[in-house]
Amino acid sequence: MATTASQAPATLPVAAAEKPAPRIGTGIRMTLFYVVLLIIAIVFIAPYLLSIFAAFKPLSAILSQSPVRPPSPPTLDNFKAIFSQYGFWRYLGNTLMVTVILTAGQVTFSLMGAYAFARMQFPGRNALFWVYLATLMVPNVVTMVPLYVLFSHSGLLNTYWAIFLPYVLGTPYAVFLMRQYFMTIPKEVMEAARLDGCSESYILRRIVVPISRPIIITATLLAFVFGWNNFLWPLIVTNSNSLQVLTVGIANLQSNFTVQWNLVLAGSLVALVPMVVLFAIFQKHIVNSISLTGINR
Amino acid sequence: MSIATSAASLVPKRGRAAAIPTADGGRTRTAFLLLLPSLIGVVLFLVVPVIMVIFLSLTRWNLLTPLKWVGLSNYVNIFRFDGMGNSLLVTAYYVVLNIPIQTAVALGLALVLNNKRRGTGLIRIICVLPFLATPVAMAVVWNWFFSPTTGIINQVLAHVGITGPAWLSNAATAMPVVAFANIWQYAGYNMLFFLAGLQAIPLAMYEAASLDGASRIQQFRQVTLPLLRPTMLFVLVTGVIGSFQVFDTVYVMTAGGPGNATEVVNLNIYNTAFAGFRIGEASAMSVVLFLVILAVTVAQFRYFNKRTTYEIA
Repeated sequence: MATTASQAPATLPVAAAEKPAPRIGTGIRMTLFYVVLLIIAIVFIAPYLLSIFAAFKPLSAILSQSPVRPPSPPTLDNFKAIFSQYGFWRYLGNTLMVTVILTAGQVTFSLMGAYAFARMQFPGRNALFWVYLATLMVPNVVTMVPLYVLFSHSGLLNTYWAIFLPYVLGTPYAVFLMRQYFMTIPKEVMEAARLDGCSESYILRRIVVPISRPIIITATLLAFVFGWNNFLWPLIVTNSNSLQVLTVGIANLQSNFTVQWNLVLAGSLVALVPMVVLFAIFQKHIVNSISLTGINR
Repeated sequence: MSIATSAASLVPKRGRAAAIPTADGGRTRTAFLLLLPSLIGVVLFLVVPVIMVIFLSLTRWNLLTPLKWVGLSNYVNIFRFDGMGNSLLVTAYYVVLNIPIQTAVALGLALVLNNKRRGTGLIRIICVLPFLATPVAMAVVWNWFFSPTTGIINQVLAHVGITGPAWLSNAATAMPVVAFANIWQYAGYNMLFFLAGLQAIPLAMYEAASLDGASRIQQFRQVTLPLLRPTMLFVLVTGVIGSFQVFDTVYVMTAGGPGNATEVVNLNIYNTAFAGFRIGEASAMSVVLFLVILAVTVAQFRYFNKRTTYEIA
């Protein structure tokens, strides 16, 4: 304490005496800037990093060691346990299947609807588009109970269908997003193709889809992340263990093994890591598409 | 291809559709075929449920015995017997904790990261990463972070001589921790909108302000904030709509407890409908929440429209 106190006033007059005083000021400011960056990085990375450490430790090590200590030696026992004893292969498989079906359907059908709204003439177009826009404002929580009633009366509860059906036929948001993009494609492109005798499906597949890759990737990513992370709806419509998805499996594991952190954290990583990989592959695109969705909304 | 052939087979019927200007029959049919899947989805899974929820809210029903018409009594009973008042207050508390801090953090991050210095790009990416994180899985991670003895938060506090509380089983701290989980997840996402907003402000505005002798703080208050108003409105409206429906993190972190200190509306609806099978009451709760969200959204638009808006030429 004493040394730093005596050093500080000694350095300050020197800095003032030397001409490039502002440079030292900017030096301090740069250091401060990078300290802030470091803190930000730690806040956003630490939860992942420490969970990874813990998931490769036995429970005894988690309870006795500091969370910041890497596992030594790392053990795969936690992952073996959740995959072989607690059904995580099943949950992972269910989540993947349901999410892929949901994404493929939602993107394809929304794209078709968006094209019809953007570049085709038909009676009632504006009225129907207004209906889509109005439903865009309905919060999920409002439709949850009646949807459950619908599914229970059509005997679809506790089936794979129930998990993805409400989202697979396209969503007003995805339709709106792609419609806004298609509106920027010059009409003349389609008119010329029609004059050449191309069918609408040919125009859609061979002209519109290739030009619209960015927005299609955006819609695909949004649908996939939604399907992967969805929790409340799968929780409501499935109760047999064999149909459950990862999020429901994780929540059940947590309520059954409250303080078995080794197991529940390993389970959480099974859901988190694929999203991190997805982000690593598409990071530029995800960042761009978030801004895109904001502007379009 | 199949669409093209079906359109060709319609040629004789063309005369009927020709009454509509600029649309010919084949193309109209193709347009409806393209629209059909999403239209079925929108009608069946959005329009019908909205009508149904209003109807169901006026009935007493447990899915098994015949449905009974009870008028508006559910709207009274949910407040008298089902803790709807508490749920609305708890949810409002969550929104009030969550939105201002989340928006301030997002704006702060954007201000810090709005430059081309080395490393800034990487940190921006890192901030956005939580946006994809599965909320249920993150809730488990936060349960561990905030656990009374094994959690890192209390371990760090112990190092500086503070005995941390049992965060999630303490009525005073449970909701702030849940709000923290949400802020961590969405601050970086909202930062992107502020970054886009900041970059749209012409540098000339700041030059003019500094020529007029405005300090950095004055420039922020007089130039940056007013010109960010549209971004602010977007971030607030989407954030508030999402926050009023919070479920995943609450379900995993507190299950509404301790007592009913964190029993948000969505959790109350879940318990009423799927544990108690009281469809009428749960529907009434949904309608009330919808009206609250609608009112708050309209109020935000009103507030932002009343204030002077600035157009960037």
